[in-house]
Amino acid sequence: MSGFSIVFVKEFIDNLRDRRTLFSSFSIAVIGPIFFVAAMVFVLDRALGESDDAITFAVVGAPFAPQLMNYLERQNTQITTLVSEDPQQSVTQGEHSLVLVIQPSYSKRYQQGNTNTLTLIHDSSELSSTRRNLAQLRRYINEYANTTGRLRLWMRGIDPNISNPIRTQELDVASPAARALSLLASLPYFLVLVVFMGGFYLAIDTTAGEREHGSMEPLLIQPISRTQLVLGKMSATAAFGMISLVIFLISLYFSLPFVPFERIGMALDIGLGQIMSILIISAPLVLFAAALLTLVASFAKSYKEAQTYLAFVILVPTLPLIVAQLMNVETSLVVMLVPSLSQAILMADLIKGETIVLYQALISMLTTLVYTTGLTTLAVGLYRRERILG
Amino acid sequence: MIDVQKITKNYGAVEAVKEVSFSAADGRITALLGPNGAGKSTSLRILSTVARPDSGNAWVAGVDVVYDPMTVRQRIGVLPHNSGLYSRLTGIENIRYYGRLQGIETQQLEERIALLVEQLAMGEFCSRRTAGFSQGQQIKIALARALIHDPQHIILDEPTNGLDVMATRALREIVLNLRSQGKCILFSSHIMQEVDALCDHVIVISSGLVRFDGSISDFRALAGTASLEDAFVQIAGLGETP
Repeated sequence: MSGFSIVFVKEFIDNLRDRRTLFSSFSIAVIGPIFFVAAMVFVLDRALGESDDAITFAVVGAPFAPQLMNYLERQNTQITTLVSEDPQQSVTQGEHSLVLVIQPSYSKRYQQGNTNTLTLIHDSSELSSTRRNLAQLRRYINEYANTTGRLRLWMRGIDPNISNPIRTQELDVASPAARALSLLASLPYFLVLVVFMGGFYLAIDTTAGEREHGSMEPLLIQPISRTQLVLGKMSATAAFGMISLVIFLISLYFSLPFVPFERIGMALDIGLGQIMSILIISAPLVLFAAALLTLVASFAKSYKEAQTYLAFVILVPTLPLIVAQLMNVETSLVVMLVPSLSQAILMADLIKGETIVLYQALISMLTTLVYTTGLTTLAVGLYRRERILG
Repeated sequence: MIDVQKITKNYGAVEAVKEVSFSAADGRITALLGPNGAGKSTSLRILSTVARPDSGNAWVAGVDVVYDPMTVRQRIGVLPHNSGLYSRLTGIENIRYYGRLQGIETQQLEERIALLVEQLAMGEFCSRRTAGFSQGQQIKIALARALIHDPQHIILDEPTNGLDVMATRALREIVLNLRSQGKCILFSSHIMQEVDALCDHVIVISSGLVRFDGSISDFRALAGTASLEDAFVQIAGLGETP
């Protein structure tokens, strides 16, 4: 066994025995996609409503307006008739979420052509589907009122349009699909985070941790070259990053089908092909993360110090992603030169089902590897210096 | 044979070691005696190839520590200041890790581990994870780790720190046994009595300078006092500063 693999095996097994490390390394990878899918389902539900379901509400004083009730019943509704003294209380107590109150004078006023006031009792602090029920019921009543009003004008020989000098029409271009897509665009953040979190504690344990426990000096007295030593430690960190990434992709593969993409007319089909492509494209990022984390953690003398540094380091790779999203960066050759950004963009393309350009993917992988080599060289240099004992 | 010639080492403005020369012969226990911060650890770090002297030379079995550190590392076994064991590995695994780093073949390594477990009486605890080990148990594992490649030169940096009476006795016996095998043992300490009980040869270092180099009996004679502690204080020049 070479010195490199001896160190790798030791660090890997050593950290595999630490529950805290395992938890912090892999929890995001497992829970991330599940959390993401839950958010996605929630957003889509809120955006679309349960559009096919009937709206439910209760009515007090239904017998006073038989025509209106007749109209409402013919719509997609489910109506409970109430005989209640205090309908307001039934809403505050949560018996009903939406109550329509019709006054006894309704019929008389209607016949006289006067305005009738209908009261809609609801609790706007409640989430749930009340909001949609309310909007829908209001629309039905307005429709009925309009039709009635127009009929009254016709009967008096007046063009009903005279009372409507201006009409507005709204067109919200943010379709539910677009909203869902913007959420989907956050997936690459998860990818970068998962890769870095996977190796986070290992990078600390194998460097600053050794210094803190006093095991660094005896280790450096062993006949192993500094290059092999650093590479062994980095590989163990990279291995944890890779496991984290694989877990993330497996979790994603199994949880994404739960998002009802077909309801917004999207056919998002993440197959094994895409998953494998993401894995291959992200592999150099895993090495990059291991090198960067190991290098920075090596400057720290204690666990705590290293944690402070690395918490900041983890933010760094997400910065280009945020900038890119704000500036609406598209896939291009220049973007491929930036580690983490290139992987994020390629992953976004893959998820959207677009085909990625092979040479761009290769350039992304190659440049990331070049940076990794640079960082590794710096780390080895650091371990050649006496200050590493300090 | 360990040979140190006029080594000097500065840390910034601090002169840790000033032209220190000494040697430690095979089959003898040589003590590096001095108060805290005297330059003992720096000298040992230079000998164990993890620090470079600013000037001067040091050889282990004739091999220069600066020019061929890899060979030196194969010929020395170092028991560090604090044991530095991996708490999630068992005692055996800690020893095995260093054995592999020393490039020992698997079968030979397992035989060697079995031998050390027996010699150091570690059978009871060596298969457990080292978290929660007593100081004595930790020292034994660390010592086995340092001896795994059967080095000719053994450097012990304040090994009895934090050990109770029984553990100190056990360690003393092990060190004497190593001497009888003809090993070259360099032992750093700031405890006079311990040096007296164990060592053949004393080198007193203080403020980065060698103050005395000779046998224990010469040391007593030079000081002219019966109390070793007084002798040490006097020779190390500690009495001058109140």
